Amino acid sequence: MSLLCSGAIRQSATRKWASRTFIRCTSSYSDRDQKTTSFGFKTIPAHEKESMVKNVFDSVASNYDLMNDAMSLGVHRLWKDEFVSSLKPGRRGPMRCIDVAGGTGDIALRLLDFAREKYADRETSVEVVDINAQMLKEGHRRFKQTMYHNTPQVSFHEANAQELPVEKFIDNSYDLYTIAFGIRNCTSIPDVLKEAYRVLKPGATFACLEFNKVTNPLLGPIYDQYSFSVIPLLGTLLTGDRASYQYLVESIRKFPSQPEFAQMIRDAGFVTGKDIDGAAWNNLWGGVACIHTGVKV
Amino acid sequence: MSASSLKRTQLLKIATSLVKTHGFTREALARSVLYLPNQKHVESKQDNEDCQPLSDTAVSSLFGFGDAARTTLIYAWLDEGINHMSNSSQPARNIFLGREPAFTWLSLQFDPLPALKHAHRIADEAAYLSMDTSRELAWYARRISLAGIYSAAELHQLTSPSTAHSFLDSLLTGSSSLEQKLDDVMLYSDYVYKSWKGILKSRGML
Repeated sequence: MSLLCSGAIRQSATRKWASRTFIRCTSSYSDRDQKTTSFGFKTIPAHEKESMVKNVFDSVASNYDLMNDAMSLGVHRLWKDEFVSSLKPGRRGPMRCIDVAGGTGDIALRLLDFAREKYADRETSVEVVDINAQMLKEGHRRFKQTMYHNTPQVSFHEANAQELPVEKFIDNSYDLYTIAFGIRNCTSIPDVLKEAYRVLKPGATFACLEFNKVTNPLLGPIYDQYSFSVIPLLGTLLTGDRASYQYLVESIRKFPSQPEFAQMIRDAGFVTGKDIDGAAWNNLWGGVACIHTGVKV
Repeated sequence: MSASSLKRTQLLKIATSLVKTHGFTREALARSVLYLPNQKHVESKQDNEDCQPLSDTAVSSLFGFGDAARTTLIYAWLDEGINHMSNSSQPARNIFLGREPAFTWLSLQFDPLPALKHAHRIADEAAYLSMDTSRELAWYARRISLAGIYSAAELHQLTSPSTAHSFLDSLLTGSSSLEQKLDDVMLYSDYVYKSWKGILKSRGML
């Protein structure tokens, strides 16, 4: 196998990431059997993706919310509100929810608040799962400021979404599985979906909020320009880590389109609505973000 | 059709059978899963877990949010009625008038088009089943009159369900005699026109 390194080796400039390096390489493989996956626009060996994504999120964890606000001009909050309100947690009684790749606790907090405010439900619980300890630490810190800290309503677990430990995440045990802006970072989306199917009860719902393909022909070019020019620049200015935000932007473009992802959800065994906007998926802001749902029947 | 679509269709079919007890509600859709001949539900019962209806989120995910789910159920019910009309040995009018609540719901929407479309579908199906051989304008006239009769009968059923069948019979009888009368009037008008044309010609005015 020959490896060509065409990019520069970067060193993070801030006090937090001074010792961390991010190597950008292009590579070609003569070994055809090695499984590869995408890391943004790059193709890398599949086994390397997890550690590279981990590095990205270790890097962005402490400023994750600031960057989300800057990148989406605060709109991500509206998307998350829409996501949670469409799920109506607590409407038919307490639910046992699992929020995967939910390190900072954004969705978990919204689920619990919605159930409490709309349905006076204080029994719904959310288990926040993330592969990244730094992100979980941020989430735990955030929850300390809420009434749910030290209650059975929320718990934090470090685990891989593709391989949830069977002894902790038992088959057919959850009423709702959510994953928001996390599935595109996983090495194998089918494995994540398979695990989601395993842990959900019959009749339970899988819900995914993710960036997706913009379907509006006027909005598309504007969005592309903003994504590839502004967001990495914000990464440089606010955190000193352009490469991580470049990856985040590129990974959005590599994610399957709405119908493709709906088919992947069906392939995992879920039943979805028809393959149209408003049924199997629900586009937000012309497809900039999208909510996909499926039911385990 | 994929396994997922088949399951969704199966749930919808079961939900239509629950319309009699639960009406056109999300509840009927939610409870459809309880009657699914599904291995997993049998297993969950053996595990002493109560079989639960689908959650609101699941119903929204499969069939649409809010009233969209009810509309999906209504259309499924109406489609089943039309299939039943084609395949059943019962008189079509019995099947016609069994679909009244759905028609009411469609009529009460702000958009009357779904109700009109449904009336036209029924009329077209009824004309086909009766082996109607009309052509050109008569083809349209037949279907428009059937659609009008169906709509009138459905609306009549809202106020007086017990007399709906006799009302429909009278409309259908009246429509065929009306057709005959219209043909007679057209023929008579044609004779009158030709007569006057002849008279005017003989006086040199034409």
